[in-house]
Amino acid sequence: MKIKIIIYFSFFITAALLLISAGKKNFIPTPIKFVVPKGFPSVATNIFLKNKLTEEGFELGKKMFYDARLSKDGEISCGSCHQQFASFSTYDHDLSHGVNNSFSNRNAPALINLAWMKEWHWDGGINHLEMQPLSPLSAANEMGEKLDTVILKLKADTAYVRMYKAAFGDATVTTERMLKAFAQFTGSLVSADSKYDKVKRGEATFILPEQKGYEIFKANCNGCHREPLFTDNSFRNNGIALNRFNDVGRQTITQDKKDSLKFKVPTLRNVALTLPYMHDGQINSLENVINHYTGLDTNFINLDPLLKKRINFTDKEKRQLVLFLYTLTDTSFTKNKRFAP
Amino acid sequence: MSKLFFLLLCMVAQSCCVAQKKQLSMPVVFQNICKGEKSILNINLVNAFEENYTITKFKYYVSNIKFVTDKKIKNAAGVYLIDASKKNIISIMVPSEKVSGISFLLGVDSILNCSGAQSGALDPLNDMFWTWNNGYIFFKVEGNSANSKADLHRIEHHIGGFKGNNKTMTEIYLPINSKVLLKRKKLVIQLDIDKYWNGINKLKIAEMPVIATPGKPAKYAANNFTGMFSIKNNKKIRIEN
Repeated sequence: MKIKIIIYFSFFITAALLLISAGKKNFIPTPIKFVVPKGFPSVATNIFLKNKLTEEGFELGKKMFYDARLSKDGEISCGSCHQQFASFSTYDHDLSHGVNNSFSNRNAPALINLAWMKEWHWDGGINHLEMQPLSPLSAANEMGEKLDTVILKLKADTAYVRMYKAAFGDATVTTERMLKAFAQFTGSLVSADSKYDKVKRGEATFILPEQKGYEIFKANCNGCHREPLFTDNSFRNNGIALNRFNDVGRQTITQDKKDSLKFKVPTLRNVALTLPYMHDGQINSLENVINHYTGLDTNFINLDPLLKKRINFTDKEKRQLVLFLYTLTDTSFTKNKRFAP
Repeated sequence: MSKLFFLLLCMVAQSCCVAQKKQLSMPVVFQNICKGEKSILNINLVNAFEENYTITKFKYYVSNIKFVTDKKIKNAAGVYLIDASKKNIISIMVPSEKVSGISFLLGVDSILNCSGAQSGALDPLNDMFWTWNNGYIFFKVEGNSANSKADLHRIEHHIGGFKGNNKTMTEIYLPINSKVLLKRKKLVIQLDIDKYWNGINKLKIAEMPVIATPGKPAKYAANNFTGMFSIKNNKKIRIEN
């Protein structure tokens, strides 16, 4: 009798354990290790601490990034305005196109090395990388779609349902999961293999004009465009007047007059590919950006203190500086198939 | 065989004892009223400045809600979105010590405002999150009034802000008659929307029909938060509720 009970009991336990494990059996996501490139600082906020980076999550994020169906009219994806060959900015467009032939009010910034930022967008209005997609998805002049409709579209697509299951263990599509998957893709866009990086690693050398340009850069530009990220991620007023959209930049977020016309210092990595320049794309070439700084009105209201000192370059120095900036182009990044649709 | 049954009996008995020791919880109901009127949505209301108005949407966050005693009580987890179009009942543990009041945060703390993607009450699907200037809208009133000069005579108060001078999340403390608590099956916290317009600060719809960002106007409005809340029948002990 006793033996019988013990046998039944153990059988029951085994069956229960099997049932429990069956539910999770197919959920073995492939972890990805986020690598900080040599010479880079550690990431500002470890976005992948609570959002475990996995191959399945990354692939899901990528698919959504390139999916125009998520927009209101089915025409615009994240990738429409963030083109890989332009370092994930919009090539040769001052402003980007949104749904129904609308235009954005700002120049699409390059999406690189986002994991080292603390605040995103030109005005820093985004406080966590995961929350960023909500803005372009819903803005009337970007993808123009309501969040609940985006979720419904994802739920209705069997390919997505499969991918959500692969990434998160079950097929439930939630805002939280969607945003986490987006961040796994965008946070993985790391660019750190330009000629400049190779020189720093001792794998290449600058030619003389590049070297001269680098010295000019270190003496005049490094204060804001700090190496190795080529931005200090601060918000500064660089003497660009109020534009036709009355865009006061950082002040919109802080409601503080001291932040009037301050915008985020953009990275200069891949800068040769991210034309045109400034928050509204009003300057069309690197030469003219340099001319903006050498010709700056140093009495401009609220101008950044670092720009108060007049910068003077000869034409030769300007050319050398541009040649140095060209060494920041990382084609292994812009051609990386892993980031392509 | 009989030994085995005895063992089983012991286990069942033990688990029963554990269940009995468990703290009691009490349902706390958030009721949104206007000068005694029990419903506030889609009906004609009048404020102290003789402005007629209608509310179509009324939602706010309540977090860290707990009974207060002499002893220090741990912060309570859980964020609740109170929505005037729904029943809003939160179950709270009643401590064994004498209760002096109830406290909660109107809004959510700054950490939760920048923790990335979240679910439940904090899911951006609830339409209480600013996508362009990240942070949660703590308190949302939408509606219409002939006195509003905004587009379509709308009222749109989206009150939030969690940083520096723009902080609007507000700690609310309501003293409780402890005798009342013992007699009750539930506790009703009332929010009187009339006191939102007419509190320490005077919010005329004609002057402030729209507040949609953190900043000074939001701060000005949030100063009225504390005065909106009270406990229903806090003095009467015998009451049917």
